[in-house]
Amino acid sequence: MSVSIVVIGLNHSTAPVQIREKITFQGDPNGSATKSFANNPGVSELMILSTCNRVEIIAIYDGNQSTENELIDRIASYHQLDRENFDDYLYIKRDSDAVRHVFRVASSLDSMILGEPQILGQVKDGYRKASEAATTGPILNRLMHRGFFSAKRVRTETNVGAAAVSVAYVAVELAKKILGDLQDKSVLLIGAGEMAELAAKHLISQVVKPLTVVNRTYENACVLASQLDGSAVPMNELEQALTTADVVITSTGSCDPIICSPNMRNVMKVRRYRPIFLIDIAIPRDVEPAVHDIDGVYLYNIDDLQSVASDNLGERKIEALRGERIVEEEVSKFMNWTETLDSTPTIIALREKLEQIRTSELARLNGKLAKLNTDERDLVDQVTRSIINKIVHDPISFLKQSGKNAKRTDYLDVTQKLFNLYDTNTPAAGENEISDQ
Amino acid sequence: MDLLFFQMAIALYVCAAVAYLVFLILPEGKRVNVAFGLMLAGFITHILSIFHRALFSGYFPLTTLFDAVSLFSLLIVGAFLIFRYHEPSPIFGAITAPLAAVLMIFGTTLSYQIQQPVVPILRSWWLPIHVLLALIGNGIFASMAIAGLMYMIQERLIKSKKIGRLYRMLPSLETLDAINRRGLPLGFFFLTLGIISGALWAGSAWGSYWSWDPKETWSLITWFVYAAMVHQRLVLGWRGRKAAIFAIAGFVLVMFTFVGVSAFLGGYHSFSGVESFRGMPRL
Repeated sequence: MSVSIVVIGLNHSTAPVQIREKITFQGDPNGSATKSFANNPGVSELMILSTCNRVEIIAIYDGNQSTENELIDRIASYHQLDRENFDDYLYIKRDSDAVRHVFRVASSLDSMILGEPQILGQVKDGYRKASEAATTGPILNRLMHRGFFSAKRVRTETNVGAAAVSVAYVAVELAKKILGDLQDKSVLLIGAGEMAELAAKHLISQVVKPLTVVNRTYENACVLASQLDGSAVPMNELEQALTTADVVITSTGSCDPIICSPNMRNVMKVRRYRPIFLIDIAIPRDVEPAVHDIDGVYLYNIDDLQSVASDNLGERKIEALRGERIVEEEVSKFMNWTETLDSTPTIIALREKLEQIRTSELARLNGKLAKLNTDERDLVDQVTRSIINKIVHDPISFLKQSGKNAKRTDYLDVTQKLFNLYDTNTPAAGENEISDQ
Repeated sequence: MDLLFFQMAIALYVCAAVAYLVFLILPEGKRVNVAFGLMLAGFITHILSIFHRALFSGYFPLTTLFDAVSLFSLLIVGAFLIFRYHEPSPIFGAITAPLAAVLMIFGTTLSYQIQQPVVPILRSWWLPIHVLLALIGNGIFASMAIAGLMYMIQERLIKSKKIGRLYRMLPSLETLDAINRRGLPLGFFFLTLGIISGALWAGSAWGSYWSWDPKETWSLITWFVYAAMVHQRLVLGWRGRKAAIFAIAGFVLVMFTFVGVSAFLGGYHSFSGVESFRGMPRL
């Protein structure tokens, strides 16, 4: 009995969004889809991972191609699609490739945005659904736990998730490095366009104070301010607004700079050089570049933020290589474990047979033992038990350790014959008894 | 044998320094805990070394420059261990551990023999009070200088838009400025107490509170510099880079007053260990 693992799925790199949006299990909160897939007779354990970027069925199965085909057919029938529609986009990974794939996905090495942290939660979600639907077993349990462990190792031992890779996150990170905790800081938007709103959204989620909007047309400022629970200020009070703000996002369509060096110098004097972070996402620029040279002013334009983001992505890619090595280590540990699995039923059978002999012999001598008091009977029980344990200890550790030995099947065979293990009524030990350490 | 604990503490600080520096090159992991453990072990051994010396000499060991340097580095490491709970960034360790190690190694070049019998004036309760107050003040000024240095680096990185690993590792400008903001009045307070306690001690021992000994003069200069700093910060609203530069410059002066004055200018503050390389008789 060897373990067969398969991953059938598609993701952002193999399938276009038109296919990905059709094949999804996200509307399956009670795990009925997981159950229906696990009902396949060739499948012993199964879970479904479904995110906006990937759908994957992870199964422990009999290793037959027909079972794989049935699973794919079921994907088609579940979504009422023809199999030809998506067959080309599917990947099928088996055994160590499947394990590697699962570990890479959990560690976010296969994500669209390398190192993003959400995927681990999504994997855990799929696993939780499967265990609620009772479609998991010892092998899938271990696969998942080792996957979570790999993800944790990759996260703590590499910097793959460390640096921000989107402009909005880079801006928030910078704001924190300049101003510390953002909770009590105030945000000023100059320009009421859609760009300002987009850029500010992530920042606003970090602050408590209501934001201020300044715009050439006061009405538009009012509209955006009411959408974002802030207040509007007319353009001629800009300097006043600058003296109280900590983070400023400018995005007007103006051709001339709105903030120039001389008036910013005045503002800084009034602020007593309290630091201010200016984010200029307008093209042409709203803030004169020389403003950056004033003490306490930190000016970043959209290109600056973009280049930080892409530098950080480059760093993540280098760190990802180190992550791959960690995953590789974990895959080989897992594969070693699966190999010890085929010795487990033999070991259990051996133990059970000896225990059976012991109890039946004790029962046979029951009459003679009856003279003994309880303490002495306990002692006899203990002695026989420890003799058995001492005898089987060496053979069992030998069988466990011959994990990679080419002759292991021979050894297992010999053990079974020597002790006549499968002739008695010993059940062929089920997988349920394999402990999941 | 008499320096065994001290040398063990040095070895542990050096190991902690190496561990922290390795950490700066390699990505996050368990190494920080290892470095922190080494630091803590060094701290404990260091305390033992001071106790050992106290038992050996029979009173609070503060009569030599060696002892003052040892206690000073102990205070710095202690401040780091407490501060670590507020700001776990390992970069503080990467600065504190080498600093402590260097100070201690400098200490080993000084004579640590205690002259027997100890001059009567040093057998006074004023000794530990005066020295501890002065050293706590110095320790706070040292932390401000370290924060100031980090502020200058972080500020330059952000201004020049070099957003990399060092930038992520260094604390925020606000945190670093807060160390300066909170440390300044506190350090100034202890410096003032240190000077007053010294004057009172002198008054009770010699009947004269102030005698323009070089150490007294330089302490007074230091006091005026920090008084100016407090004024600039509180009244003129200096902050950030200016305050950081001031903290670094002030600490250079503190170190000169602490070590340099005894070594080059003499006076009755000369610690008994220093004369070996000055060849001048002390009080």
